[in-house]
Amino acid sequence: MTARYNRLSTLIDRNFGRIAAAPAIAVLLAVSLFPLIYTIVVSFQNLTMLDSDTSFQGFMHYRAALFDTRLWAALGHTTLILVIALPLEIILGYVLARLFLEQLPGRQVFVALLVLPTVLSPIVAGATWRLMFDVRFGPVGQIVSWLVGEPVTMLWTVNPTLVYPAILICEVWQWTPFMFLLLLAALSNVDQGQLEAAELDGASGWRVFSKIILPAIRPVLVIAILIRGLDIFRIFDVIWVLTEGGPGTMTETLSIFTYQIGFVQFDTSYTAAISIMVVLALTIALTWALRRVEALK
Amino acid sequence: MAGLTITGLHKRYGGFHALKGIDLTIQDGSFAVFVGPSGCGKSTLLRSIAGLEDVDEGKIAIGGEDVTDLRPRDRDIAMVFQNYALYPYLTVFENIAFGLRSRKFPETEIRRRVGEAAEILGITALLDRLPRHLSGGQRQRVAIGRAIVRQAKLFLFDEPLSNLDAKLRDEMRGEIKRLHKEIGKTMVYVTHDQVEAMTLADRIMLLRDGRIEQEGAPLDLFERPSTGFVASFLGSPTINLIPGRLVTRSGRSAVVLDTGESLDLPAQRAKLDDGERPILLGIRPQYLTRAAGTLAAGHARIEANADLIQPTGTRTFVTSHIGGVAVTAELAAHDVDNSEGRIAYALDMARAILIDPSTDKVI
Repeated sequence: MTARYNRLSTLIDRNFGRIAAAPAIAVLLAVSLFPLIYTIVVSFQNLTMLDSDTSFQGFMHYRAALFDTRLWAALGHTTLILVIALPLEIILGYVLARLFLEQLPGRQVFVALLVLPTVLSPIVAGATWRLMFDVRFGPVGQIVSWLVGEPVTMLWTVNPTLVYPAILICEVWQWTPFMFLLLLAALSNVDQGQLEAAELDGASGWRVFSKIILPAIRPVLVIAILIRGLDIFRIFDVIWVLTEGGPGTMTETLSIFTYQIGFVQFDTSYTAAISIMVVLALTIALTWALRRVEALK
Repeated sequence: MAGLTITGLHKRYGGFHALKGIDLTIQDGSFAVFVGPSGCGKSTLLRSIAGLEDVDEGKIAIGGEDVTDLRPRDRDIAMVFQNYALYPYLTVFENIAFGLRSRKFPETEIRRRVGEAAEILGITALLDRLPRHLSGGQRQRVAIGRAIVRQAKLFLFDEPLSNLDAKLRDEMRGEIKRLHKEIGKTMVYVTHDQVEAMTLADRIMLLRDGRIEQEGAPLDLFERPSTGFVASFLGSPTINLIPGRLVTRSGRSAVVLDTGESLDLPAQRAKLDDGERPILLGIRPQYLTRAAGTLAAGHARIEANADLIQPTGTRTFVTSHIGGVAVTAELAAHDVDNSEGRIAYALDMARAILIDPSTDKVI
């Protein structure tokens, strides 16, 4: 009796961690693994608003997606925003962080003020900028008119040459402070002695940056790039508020496109197929990126 | 010639006056040590010489050239930092070569010089490693290698041994001294450790509260301190300071302790004016010996209980109460029996240091 009781208690002792974690794992599986599998299943069926055809359709939707020029255009728009906004945010964030590294009077207050945009909900940021860009009431048009010296009409959310600048301004305005904050923390950990040694060694600014500062902040920088990269890849709110993907489909990103066909056109199975493809592509890209990060250590 | 001259140097941090008028000259090729308790300004002074701190007043000249307004990189100075400040993502080779590469030396010259420096410091086998794979002592050598490879005019050391354990510290101290002999450059060394100061220096500058309290050759400072502060800072164990009065009657002086014992000073140390004044009798532990039979000239005899006996092997430290304070005597090990109760000491009054307690000056 006691022997059996002891066996049971050692079994519990040994697996206590697993037992304790089991409920959480179950919840996680229910809310993430189940929807994933369900989405995969749906992507091979043909569910639309009018039809609930659950028969196996093979790779029909996947093939359709590969030849969908609107999808490729959306991917192009997303990539365009990514490759412009991300480097801008990094560079501006780095420059700001370098400025704020010195012990300035009132530094904390300025840092707090600078970080405000990041605290806003993106939808609020978008709405605010929409007002800022407004043709009749917005201050942006007024300021430009005043600078130029004559009334200028700038249709920021409609004019094809201005929509991307508008989106990028809003995006960079909101997320540069995030980069700034992370880089400020990373930079304040750079060893002061090493910088002094490099100064005595007569190293140029670029050499100090590439050999001392960059290696020291690289781990933080990589994580920041991953977080912001993924964030921009799924950019939605700001554009939705500013242009709703327009004019036409000119600023339609992957998220907006998926939303349109999923929740406006209710092309459910096609949406599922696109989602799965995006998830696959991102998983491959992320795994590759994380491997590279590991290799750096 | 690359001596160092500093005149009227002041440095303030807001309201804190860190350096209050430093004047000093360090001869070309000599080894100078700034020593003092923490907060005395010795590191600030060193960093000012390097140009890592701006100074508020005064001039700094290296080899006759005024460098006060030059950037650190233009002063032709090499420095070894307390925490080594090695570049963590570069190999030992690249660490040592960093300054040469920054100054665009040709590759063959870099290889030759780094090889030579590594040879001198015995780190040739470590050249491909990263700093984090090195021990404290090895990192220290790399830091020194990075300094010597540039063949700068002036070498600065900021407490370079304070992060090492005692044994390694002794070893590296010897190496730094040997290195100075070998390359013969002017070196300025900061430490709070008086043993390092005594063993390394040609000349010690003892700092206190942003001023140079006294400067001179190590043994001069040790034997002839100008203040009680200098006397108690140098020497281990610390000098004994016994309160009493200096009494002079008809050309003969004696120190009368607060507990009543009278210790005669030798004739050549007598004070001329009759009278008496309060005094601190400074006597180093090694000048308290065992009184045997007749006293040697200039010695005074005093008996006390041995409160604490600490043998170290070669020497034994005995603590007794004399004149109301704890006094340490450093005796030869075979002179003392561990169970001894009462000991008769002979105080070498010719070596005694008399300090005015109100001004801290030696009289």
